[in-house]
Amino acid sequence: MFYRRAGIRHTTYRQERQLWPLPFDRFLVGLVAALLIIAPFVVDRLYLVAYLLPWLIWSSAALGLNLLMGGAGQIHLGYGAVMAIGAYTSVHLVRFGTPFELAMVAGGLASAVIGSIFGFAALRVKSLYLAMATIAMQYIVDFVITHVPGISGGGMASVEVPPVRFLGILIEGDLRTYFMALAVCAVVALFMLNVGRTAFGRALAAVREKDYAAEIIGIDTFKYKLLAFWSSSFIGGVIGCVLVVCYLRSVSPEQFHLDLSIQLLAMVIVGGLGSVLGSFFGAGLILFAPIVFNNLIGAGADRLGIAIGADLRAHLPLMLYGALIVVFLIIEPLGLAKIYDNVRNYFLVWPFRHARR
Amino acid sequence: MSRGRRGAIKPVATREDDMRLTRRSFVATTAATALTGLRFSMRSAVAADAKVIKFGMPQDFTKIYTFVTAEYSQGARDYFTLVNGRGGVNGYKIDAEVSDHANDLPRAIEAYERLKREGMVLIDPLSTPVARALVSRALEDKINLVTAFSGRSDAADGAVFPYVMPLSPNYWTQAGLIIDFFRQQDKDLKGKKIVLVHIDTPFGKEPIPIFQALGQKLGYSFETFPYTPPGNDQSAIWPQVRRAKPDWVVFWGAGVGQTTALSEAVRNGIPMDRMSSSVWISESDMDVVGKDAVKGVLKFEPCASGRSPKVVADIIKEVAGKGQGAGPEAKIGTSYYNYGVMMAAIMVEGVRVAFQKNPNGPITGPWLNDGLTAITDFTAEGLLPAMTVTKDDHQGGGKGRIARWDGTKFVPQTDWFSANQDVVWAEIKKSAENFKTTGK
Repeated sequence: MFYRRAGIRHTTYRQERQLWPLPFDRFLVGLVAALLIIAPFVVDRLYLVAYLLPWLIWSSAALGLNLLMGGAGQIHLGYGAVMAIGAYTSVHLVRFGTPFELAMVAGGLASAVIGSIFGFAALRVKSLYLAMATIAMQYIVDFVITHVPGISGGGMASVEVPPVRFLGILIEGDLRTYFMALAVCAVVALFMLNVGRTAFGRALAAVREKDYAAEIIGIDTFKYKLLAFWSSSFIGGVIGCVLVVCYLRSVSPEQFHLDLSIQLLAMVIVGGLGSVLGSFFGAGLILFAPIVFNNLIGAGADRLGIAIGADLRAHLPLMLYGALIVVFLIIEPLGLAKIYDNVRNYFLVWPFRHARR
Repeated sequence: MSRGRRGAIKPVATREDDMRLTRRSFVATTAATALTGLRFSMRSAVAADAKVIKFGMPQDFTKIYTFVTAEYSQGARDYFTLVNGRGGVNGYKIDAEVSDHANDLPRAIEAYERLKREGMVLIDPLSTPVARALVSRALEDKINLVTAFSGRSDAADGAVFPYVMPLSPNYWTQAGLIIDFFRQQDKDLKGKKIVLVHIDTPFGKEPIPIFQALGQKLGYSFETFPYTPPGNDQSAIWPQVRRAKPDWVVFWGAGVGQTTALSEAVRNGIPMDRMSSSVWISESDMDVVGKDAVKGVLKFEPCASGRSPKVVADIIKEVAGKGQGAGPEAKIGTSYYNYGVMMAAIMVEGVRVAFQKNPNGPITGPWLNDGLTAITDFTAEGLLPAMTVTKDDHQGGGKGRIARWDGTKFVPQTDWFSANQDVVWAEIKKSAENFKTTGK
């Protein structure tokens, strides 16, 4: 009924190759895009700056990690460090007077270069061993940042982000930071949607499935593994820069510790490996489930007059959050994106259950 | 036959239906819960116009500071209950909203923005990373950011950080006082060796400039021994400390690093009465390492510990005695509990002074800031040293004392005193100036 799948047959290659071949999907994407664009004007400020903005930024970061993990099958536990490199590089460059546009790209490049150096480990080791190698990257980068006063900012280990201009527009206040993050997120999401349809994306998929087999059919795994690290780290660096400029407004080492890497990893896995939509779902769940539970339990206890001890009140949201993740993964091990996909598949030919899909 | 086939298909289909149903209802329930959440928080925004003064206390109950926060928060809330039970300040009740930010910046910023919308005039996040991330927001929104025993040490300079309120002796002052205590004990520190065993994070390295500057002034040699965070393994560092044969040891960490440091020091035979900590050591830590094993260890005390101060005794009588205590009664009077009482008392005193200056409000961040920066000779009925906060000095005078663990409690070794404030303020000015000009 919604998708009207039965009546549509593509007559040109162009139609077949569209990102969203079904009109209903295009309508949904357009609707979400329109909602995101008008959100700052209709949504309460709190939800804009404390929910939508971090959601967009964390989703973009999850997308970057998903390129490496879902796209090329290389696990990375140091993505927080990758973002730190981009954030610090760009902020210091801006402080020395580099235009922000250049600093942002330079941040991405610095992340890409350093990220690929650690990516060399991926040429030798796989899965859990690669996880260990990338954790090492996390710790080495953390160590270097805190121990070089020139990077961390000295005694207080905190560097304020100076006012920046993007294409002549001063990035400040709630609106402009939001739109900046939205624009970057849109670019990353479009890249991720399209990368699977390029030779590069297909080569990554071949490497992901089995690197020996990929080598046999003529894919240079050396090159593509490194390229996967390169491009994923580049995205991470740029998002690190967006994170500090649009959201945190100051850089300090604690912002990029292992916690962030694990958080992003959880977003990718809970959302769905290799899924663009999943990164958005995963980021939403991992970022906001603890907050929503926290507020719910707090407000509920206050209103119903139940005395909950501070300890329990603090830990209960985390227990529910943990349970929620487990339940989601039991219901659908392939992630939140797959749950959406199941629903979509069901409605694709609804109300006829046995039609050809 | 056809019947049998249908029979065979049907249960499968039903199971599928059930499965879908659970999935769908699951998604629906989640969405509904989320929506209720939004409605709840909107509701509480409406209820904010009663005669209350809103404080925000999103703190870390679950990640790193855990029991420190639990005791601190218990003390603070018990004090607010005491004040509210006596009718509040000028008829206004203190409404402190406590929640957990787990040291996670998105959660802390969410709490900050939500409470700001509800009219919060003061926030106490009790976390250095969170305080650092909130500095620019607090300065912009003119909300008082309390950074007691956390955050930037240079925020003591009120001219540069008008809305960042440490309201407590910062780490540099603590280092200065600890060194002065060593000087009082040894008469002269010339030729002595003082070592700092610290967690290898910005927080751990913070006091180093003061130790170095005082070393040059007083003639002692100074050495640092960093251990890797979180500090649950320090076995490699302490033999080196022993080999260095220090005259005095200062150990600088928080949480698990502190108890590990103490047990490793005991194992390496470092004399306990030559070791001192900053504010971050408490009775609960002593329970972990063994109360008798660490007899003699020293700490910096910003306020009196134990149950004898009048405020704490009042809390026991009027709050805990009536069953309104915020936590286990056994914790009342521990060091961290009393820190909480101390900070809450200072905040309430700020409110009182603010009413004195502008009785008709309106109750805003700047209004409270006027009160907080005019606190004069406040002792909270003997709980803390006389404290005077001014527009320029947000530290409040930098007084404290050194206390010694006697196996059951911390016994003060000195009177309330202040020392080496010239060196400390030189560092504060230098760092604050640096922040103003370069944002570092």
